[in-house]
Amino acid sequence: MLFKVDNLTHQYSDGTLAINNLSLTFDKGERIAMLGTNGSGKTTLLNHFNGILKPTSGTIYFEDKPLEYNTKALLNLRKRVGFVFQDPNDQLFAPTVKQDVAFGPLNLGYPQEQVTKLVNEALTIVGMNEYIDKPPHFLSGGQKKRVALAGILAMQPEVIIMDEPTSSLDPIATSDILHLLLKLNKEKGITLVLATHDVDIVPLFANKLYILNKGKIVSEGTPKTSFSNTELIRKVNLRSPRIAHLFEVLKKENNLPITDELPLTISEARKEILRLIDQAVKEAKKEQTQY
Amino acid sequence: MSHSDLYVEVDRSAYTNALAKASPVTKTFFSISALIICVSALSLHSFIVPIIIFITCSFLTLTIAKVKLHLYLDLFLYPTFMVTLSCIFLALFFGSGDSLIQIPLPWTTWTIYKGGISTAINTFFSVEGSLSCLFFLVLTTSITDLSLILKRIHVPTVLVELSLLIYRYIFMFMEISHQMSTAQKLRLGGRGWLKKIRDTALLVGNLFIRTLEQGERVFVAMNARGYDGNIYVLEDFPKPKKTILATIVLFDIFLIIMIFLTTNIGVIAYAV
Repeated sequence: MLFKVDNLTHQYSDGTLAINNLSLTFDKGERIAMLGTNGSGKTTLLNHFNGILKPTSGTIYFEDKPLEYNTKALLNLRKRVGFVFQDPNDQLFAPTVKQDVAFGPLNLGYPQEQVTKLVNEALTIVGMNEYIDKPPHFLSGGQKKRVALAGILAMQPEVIIMDEPTSSLDPIATSDILHLLLKLNKEKGITLVLATHDVDIVPLFANKLYILNKGKIVSEGTPKTSFSNTELIRKVNLRSPRIAHLFEVLKKENNLPITDELPLTISEARKEILRLIDQAVKEAKKEQTQY
Repeated sequence: MSHSDLYVEVDRSAYTNALAKASPVTKTFFSISALIICVSALSLHSFIVPIIIFITCSFLTLTIAKVKLHLYLDLFLYPTFMVTLSCIFLALFFGSGDSLIQIPLPWTTWTIYKGGISTAINTFFSVEGSLSCLFFLVLTTSITDLSLILKRIHVPTVLVELSLLIYRYIFMFMEISHQMSTAQKLRLGGRGWLKKIRDTALLVGNLFIRTLEQGERVFVAMNARGYDGNIYVLEDFPKPKKTILATIVLFDIFLIIMIFLTTNIGVIAYAV
C-alpha cells in the first residue's frame, strides 16, 4: 500500500477536533477523491500526507514506513508527494512564472541547467509556456492554478495532492485541469488525491471515493456505489451529482425501473435512458401482440 | 499616480523593460560606477559631469530600455521638488567669500554669495544625476537579479533573503489593504473626518492579521516545495559581454577626466 492512515486523530490548538480516529489506505496509481462539506476535515487530512501537520495521535505510513518529521525526511517525502494548495495566491510567490516553477527543483538541489529543463517541461505539460516570463499577478485564476500545478510537476512527484482543484475555476478551466490530471495519471502513473466539495467532478475522475463528515469517514468505495446511497449523501449535507439526482427522482416519484447503481455521468445517463426506452418499446410491442 | 501604484509600476518595469534580460552585473556596474562619479563631482565642484550622467542614464532608461516617460517623471517628482527647495535655500542663505548681491534689511544685511549659488547649482545637478543612475538600475533590474548581485558581493545571505521576503510582503500588504479599503468604501465607510479615522484604524488592525495569515499560508506552501531557509534564485541571464564592460570603463574614465576639466565652472563666473 502506498499510503496508510492508521487511527488518525488531529486536534487543533483551539480545541477543534478536525479528524477523529480515521483510517484509510490507498495504492499507487489510484485516483482518490475526498468529498465533504467545509469543515469535514478534508484539508486537515490532506495536510498530513506531506507532513505539513503531525497527528495528535495515530500514524501515517508511506510505503509501509511511518512518516518521520525531521528536515531531511520531510524533504524526501515532499519530493515524492506534491501538494497543490487551494488558493494559488498562497503558492505563487516568486516574481515571474519561471522563478516560481523553478523554486521546487532548486530546493531539491538540482543544477541550474537541469532546473531550466524541468521548468520548461512542466510548463509545457500545463500549457503555460508563453507566460514563462510574466509575473504571476498578471494571470487569471485558472492560469494561476496551472502554474501552481507546474511548480509541483517540476519536482517530478509520484503522488499529487490537490486541495479543491476546481474551486473558482470556470467550466472550461475545470475541464482542462481534469483532463490534465487524468492524462498525468494515465501516462505517468502519478497517484492523485483530490479533496473537493464539487460533487459533479468526482465521477469524471475518481476510481475511489471517501466521504468525510466531522472528521470521520462515512463512506468508502467507488463513486458509483457511494453515490447510490442517496440518504447518506443528504445526511452529511452534500448533494448527489445532478444526473444521479434526476434518476433518483425518476425512480422514486415515477417508479421507473432504474438500476440500483444510479448513473453518474452523461454517457451513463444516455445508456440508461436508451435502455429504458428500449425496454418500454419491447413491452409495448408485447402488449400489442397480446391483444 | 498614487504611492502604492508607483511601487507596482516600478516592479512591473523591472520585468517588462527592454533591458530586463541583460546581465544585472553590467547594469549594476554601470549604475553604481556612474553614481560614485556623480557624487564625487559635487565635492570637486563640477556640475557638467552630472548633467552628462543624467542625459546618458535617461537615454538608456527611456530610449534603450523603453521605460514609460510617465513613470520616469513620476519617480523624479518628489525628490526634485525637495532638492529644488533645498537648493533655493542654499543659494539664498549659504556660502562665503565673494558676494553677488547685498540686500539691506531692517535688522541686518542679506548677502547672497556666489559660492552659495555655485554650490546650489552643483548640488541640484549632482542629485538629479545620482537619481537618474539609481532609477536606471531600479527600473531595469528585478529584485531577484539584484539579490544575486548582493550575494556575489558577499552581503550576508540572511539580509538578502530578508529583503526579498519583505519586498514580497510589501506587495501582499498593498493588495490586501486595497481590497479591504475598497470593501469599506463600497459599504460607504469613511465619510466624515472622525469616521474616517475610525475606519482606517479598523482597516490597519485587520490588515496586519490578514497579512500575517496569508504569510503563514505562503510559508507552509514554500515548505511543501522543500524550502529549507535558503531562497535559491534561478540565474537566467547571460554573462556580461566584455565589450560592454570595456565601454563602461572607458565612459567612466571619460567622466573622471571631464570632472577635472570642468571643475569650478560657476554659472556666476560667466554672468558677472
